[in-house]
Amino acid sequence: MADYKRAKWAAWADNIKSLDNPARNFEKPEALDDLVVIDLSSRSMAGCFCSSMLSELGAETIRIEPPGGDLVRTYSPNGIMVKDTGLAYLQEGRNKYHITLNLETEEGRDILKSLVAQADVLIETYPAGTMEKWGIGYEALSEINPRLIFASISTFGQFGPESKRKQYDYDNVSQARSSIQYATGEVLPEGKTAKDMPHAVPTKAGPWIAWAVSGTFGAMGILAALYYRDITGEGQAIDVSTPEAYGRLNDYQLMWYGEAGVVNERFGSLDTALWLYGFYPTKDGGVFLGGLRLEMWKAFVDIIGKYDEWKADEWTTLAPFMKKDWQLKYQSMIDPLTAQYTSEELTNKSIEYAKGGRLAPITPVVAEIVSPWKAMHDENWLDRGMFTPVQDPVYGSVLCAQAQWKSTETPPRTKWACRPIGYDNGFIYLKYFGYGPVKLKELGGKGII
Amino acid sequence: MPGVFKDYAKNKLKKPAPLKGIRVIEVCTLLFGPAGPSFLAEMGAEVIKVELPPVGDVTRSLNPFGWFYKEQGPMFMHINPSKYYMALDLHKDTAQNIFKELCAKADIVEFNLRPAVTNRWNIGYEDIKKINPGIIYLEKNGFGQWGRYAEEDRPSNDGAAQALSGYAWMSSFSKRPPLKQGIWICDVYGAMMGEVAVLAALHHRKRTGRGQFIEMSQTENIMRTMGWIWPYQQVTGKGAEPSGNRDQCICPADTFLCKDGNFAALAAPAPDEFKGLCLAMAKPELADDARFKDHTTRLKDENAMAILKIIADWAVGKTADQIENLGKKHGFAATRLHSSKDEFEDPHRRERGFIKEIDDPMYGKYVDHEIPIMMSKTPPKHRWTVRPVGFDNDFIMTKILGRSQSQLDELYTQGVLGRWKDQQGRRPPPDWDGQSGAILRR
Repeated sequence: MADYKRAKWAAWADNIKSLDNPARNFEKPEALDDLVVIDLSSRSMAGCFCSSMLSELGAETIRIEPPGGDLVRTYSPNGIMVKDTGLAYLQEGRNKYHITLNLETEEGRDILKSLVAQADVLIETYPAGTMEKWGIGYEALSEINPRLIFASISTFGQFGPESKRKQYDYDNVSQARSSIQYATGEVLPEGKTAKDMPHAVPTKAGPWIAWAVSGTFGAMGILAALYYRDITGEGQAIDVSTPEAYGRLNDYQLMWYGEAGVVNERFGSLDTALWLYGFYPTKDGGVFLGGLRLEMWKAFVDIIGKYDEWKADEWTTLAPFMKKDWQLKYQSMIDPLTAQYTSEELTNKSIEYAKGGRLAPITPVVAEIVSPWKAMHDENWLDRGMFTPVQDPVYGSVLCAQAQWKSTETPPRTKWACRPIGYDNGFIYLKYFGYGPVKLKELGGKGII
Repeated sequence: MPGVFKDYAKNKLKKPAPLKGIRVIEVCTLLFGPAGPSFLAEMGAEVIKVELPPVGDVTRSLNPFGWFYKEQGPMFMHINPSKYYMALDLHKDTAQNIFKELCAKADIVEFNLRPAVTNRWNIGYEDIKKINPGIIYLEKNGFGQWGRYAEEDRPSNDGAAQALSGYAWMSSFSKRPPLKQGIWICDVYGAMMGEVAVLAALHHRKRTGRGQFIEMSQTENIMRTMGWIWPYQQVTGKGAEPSGNRDQCICPADTFLCKDGNFAALAAPAPDEFKGLCLAMAKPELADDARFKDHTTRLKDENAMAILKIIADWAVGKTADQIENLGKKHGFAATRLHSSKDEFEDPHRRERGFIKEIDDPMYGKYVDHEIPIMMSKTPPKHRWTVRPVGFDNDFIMTKILGRSQSQLDELYTQGVLGRWKDQQGRRPPPDWDGQSGAILRR
């Protein structure tokens, strides 16, 4: 990596790095390697993401697909496939054993029950009622294994007036139902309509964030249930609804409506509740500018050379800047000023200001708005192990985001990226049931695996 | 419906919390830090929020367009429920020692400070580990504890993480400037991931007795969620580009303008769902069209654009509610776009107890979210809201550390313990009676 000036506290950094560098993850134990997780996710990457979080921590995760493979295998931009798998699942098949099992058959369900008897956690994403209809709902399975933690992730949840709907959970639909998409996006100029400007509409976040959020809340619930089970020996059912899970991140907006009757509306790349906090243009793109304390905002004004002209010395509070009209007024004053610099120049100005500016060490946050291409090649993240390719025995070198946190004792790690459909039938059915090639052939012939 | 969820919201209070007996100390400000421990608090952990007196957490000042709830910042309330409020000036030796005494009796400690600050305050991992080897110690900040950006001492926050991860880039329409999210997604998502890390560490400690040190950056956390983008760039050698409301991996999946000026989102990739959608549009023949015959074919850009155009032309002749109902009838996913008003008024979310009325001794009744994890045996509970800076000092110091009134007086005099500044967001609400909410009353 390119040289940089070491911090005064470089010894601390070096010490921590020696303790938690992801390059040494495989020397360390795994937090969850005493657990068996069954992942029945159907059409939903929320379930797959949830089981990934557990499998990255060492849980033996058995991913069950119908004999033709789950639909998630086809999720891929422009339909690109690597062998039998789309690019999205190539990311979330990680560390899992892949078997096939036809739950539409009685014998398939019996096999599932036998597997549940030997498992700790089950994750499923069918529309509510599907598992019960098959006789493998929580009540039936908890009789077989009272220690079972049974997590369901769906759009409408397992109970409540809308829970009878027979619809699968999709990220974009759950984002629309969360109340977040409504208040996100470019503002439509007065006199224009959505037909004139189809980009100035409520806008979802690009990647599958609603699915990631519900999957992560699912994992949090599973781990809390595990703690309770360690004490009492009892398993339980967990119910996560994706629009609720993502909607929980909608901070003050529910309260604002409930107490003041205000529906939060789109505010472009400014922020209804924060100043200085927004995206601004530069010569070669744009930057995020942030300064949530008055001094940081003043420091920014100093950096762009307007400290005296705007009389920043006289400002005593950020309060007036929070108001909508002031935000818009100052945005239009700032835009042409930031546009005179490149993103890198502005970023460096902020770093330099911290060393010798009038208000140093206070300085505003300046961050270039980068493309994911640039992010993936940023040496800072490469150095921290974020994009170390996984050497997969089947799919070859696969670039997966990993090392999302660092730890001295049980860090998450990625062992393989994915497996083809039914790849682990031989190993898993042998390990859990002693089914050898003859029995597997018989099951295959009957369409059960 | 599984019987275990019958009368769920009503029966919550009859059931235990999953994390009963866990004690968490946080030294956190803004969102990335404090949002995580609040999830543990709702799941029954005792969470002690330590602030620097007398101003405390910056979030106390934040507000949408000048709106405060009884002088308190509404987002501060949203992300800090059910904690105990302590104010300790960690710049002082005596405060650092008190902090260590607390950590000796805690399971988890969380910080969001610039790198090496905990070390400077003599409460770094090595210091705490000496007195409590089982401690689970989490540091969250913009760039972690090492690496170029960390060592340059770059300040960071949610917006910077949106910018640096490529998340904002991928969240706009094609050929439009990157779009910032209205919510602080990287902060709160990172906070969630932090609690997954901590709870897994707790399981490891149960098995081995060993604690651990964990560090994370919210930029790295959000990158982990960005799925297909990374292998796409590797396989094609091209940068991923945004596509507005169209899901590039699922077809059809998009948001459509409707006759009533509202919007509807729908998704129908599976064969049964796609057929259902074609039927709903009264165009069953589309399901057999060679361009749309299976999901992989449909995902080819030109085919995807063709089917989305057909759906858009149809959707604009229907209301959003009609589309949602057709989805219900024909078995594809569809919803009308919901605003915070819809969320507030939705009987479904009310019955599930996700939207609930809080009855707080200091702030009165108001409506807020529950943590969105429904647990049949151990339902999480959002119980009370925030308190002024240092409000629970005396209770914590008496209950956990056994300090007497005269010792406390001394600590206040020395400025080791502190209380709120007489300022909006820091002091009690204007209608406070001087007693309500105080656990230790004199």
